[in-house]
Amino acid sequence: MYNRILIANRGEIALRIIRACKEMGIETVAVYSRADKGSAYLDLADQAFCIGGERASDSYLKIDRIISAAEIGNAEAIHPGFGFLSENAQFNEVCRDCNIDFIGPSPEAMQMLGDKNTARSLARKADVPVVPGSVGLVTDADQAVKDAREIGYPILVKATAGGGGKGMRVAENEADLKNAVEQAAQEAQAAFGNGGVYLEKFINRPRHVEVQVLADQHGNVVHLWERDCSTQRRHQKLIEESPAPTLPPEKREEICAAAVRMVKAADYSNAGTVEFIVDKDHNFYFIEVNARIQVEHPVSEMVTGIDLIQQQIRVAAGEKLAFSQADIQCKGVAMECRINAEDPDKNFQPCPGVIKQIHIPGGMGVRWESHVHAGYSVLPYYDSMIGKLIVYQPTRTQAIATMIRSLKELRIEGIKTTADFLVKVLQCEDFKNNKIDTKWVERDFLSQK
Amino acid sequence: MAKAKEETSVFDVNKVRELIELMEEHDLNEVDLKQSDQRIRLRRGGEMTVAPPVVRTAAPVSPTPAAPAAAAPAPAADDNHDLILSPTIGTYYSRPKPTAKDFVKVGDKVTPDTIVCLVEAMKMFNEIPAGVSGTIVEILVNSEDAVHVDMPLFRISKN
Repeated sequence: MYNRILIANRGEIALRIIRACKEMGIETVAVYSRADKGSAYLDLADQAFCIGGERASDSYLKIDRIISAAEIGNAEAIHPGFGFLSENAQFNEVCRDCNIDFIGPSPEAMQMLGDKNTARSLARKADVPVVPGSVGLVTDADQAVKDAREIGYPILVKATAGGGGKGMRVAENEADLKNAVEQAAQEAQAAFGNGGVYLEKFINRPRHVEVQVLADQHGNVVHLWERDCSTQRRHQKLIEESPAPTLPPEKREEICAAAVRMVKAADYSNAGTVEFIVDKDHNFYFIEVNARIQVEHPVSEMVTGIDLIQQQIRVAAGEKLAFSQADIQCKGVAMECRINAEDPDKNFQPCPGVIKQIHIPGGMGVRWESHVHAGYSVLPYYDSMIGKLIVYQPTRTQAIATMIRSLKELRIEGIKTTADFLVKVLQCEDFKNNKIDTKWVERDFLSQK
Repeated sequence: MAKAKEETSVFDVNKVRELIELMEEHDLNEVDLKQSDQRIRLRRGGEMTVAPPVVRTAAPVSPTPAAPAAAAPAPAADDNHDLILSPTIGTYYSRPKPTAKDFVKVGDKVTPDTIVCLVEAMKMFNEIPAGVSGTIVEILVNSEDAVHVDMPLFRISKN
């Protein structure tokens, strides 16, 4: 087992990893930008090094500085968290070249799954249903039209190197197709440096269901059941829950088994998430694999009782999984709300500022994951999520009640947050009755106000 | 005869012993105490720890209970002095190679382009220029120390 791990991240996930390491008796090296200097969670690490300026490109994305910090800090492994360098195959390789373990999959597995089009091909080979779409990238306008006719309109044009909802356009009919392809390619080129696009059938009112997987370096692969993350705004998840409330039991088994097949086909190890889109008939289609730990991992931890960060560390250190699939039960219902420093009344404009006071909710079944505290300065340089509120109860009705109760108990003074907005979402009949889809917030909920 | 009020100077041996015990009991790594113009700093543990830098941003940390775990005092830049800060993270070397002389020593005059040290990151050696003009009055690190961004390396008196 490692003596020391460097955490190549910041904020809430850095704190999460530090905690896991402490419990395992592993020392930690933290890195921070000038903007994060003085953050209280840094005091919990055994060592902390400043690696540069406020902008991520000048600090958390600087591979050489992170490696250097690992070297002078004597870290044997690096946990990349999520975002930043967590899905950067080059960084992964550099770690390997420098004899530092990267806590995640191999660079090869990461590379393969990072390209969406290659991932789709792999899914087909693994007998995992994919959204009907073009077999390759769009190279020829006439071929695109032919493909689109076969797939059926509406068509979603997607960037192969894309993420976060960028480089996507919908074409309602053949007349729209040429423009949609051009615009998506342009946006993709600008955002990702790769203008390659492919076509997919546009699924109407889909739900987003993803499967948490975990694989060791000895060929053992398990799933930790699924999460439903359909409550989104502009492709950003707001609320996640497990189990998926609308899937019948046999579909849950099927989708989880498909995820495991996908992971095996990619020779993937460590934690990951296989994302699917689900139509109103419960047909599921593979979208992509997130080759890292995700923001919403606590949801799966609550229903399975498994500490995913600790498992990531164990797997990276070469341990075999200490449990089999049969040991992993999904009990009760867990739900997570992401608390963002945004003003819902001003179109969710980010609200940096100093948190004057914070009162954190408690009670049975409540878990708070956050690095912020009274006096903490929320800065504009990083994403606006300041904390996660997770609840765990025997039933969904109880989980919703506990979430509403604790969101109301949560008080953050000095900045605006999305807590009250989330209460209103949770109180909606559509949410309670599982009538929502991934566009519901923008289309129905916000338009009501 | 009434006992005279006990001296509680920071340099009283018994007081120091008490402080050390308190540090161990509360798992503190560093205690920094000032009394008028006297000061004592106790640091626990053999390993080189990077001194937590002085907080400069407007982000006060929430009131922590217990002891004065103060930052190691970063030598101050003031009207007469500048600090040369490390622009990167890595291992500090005072000389271009083991057999050569140090780049600079106390008393040397420097200009902005004078190379004052190397910081090695990932087997690449970065030459660090002074960035300011003046005379070196203090070298704040030792060769092969770990340094990180913004860590003070040299104190320069302005010409």
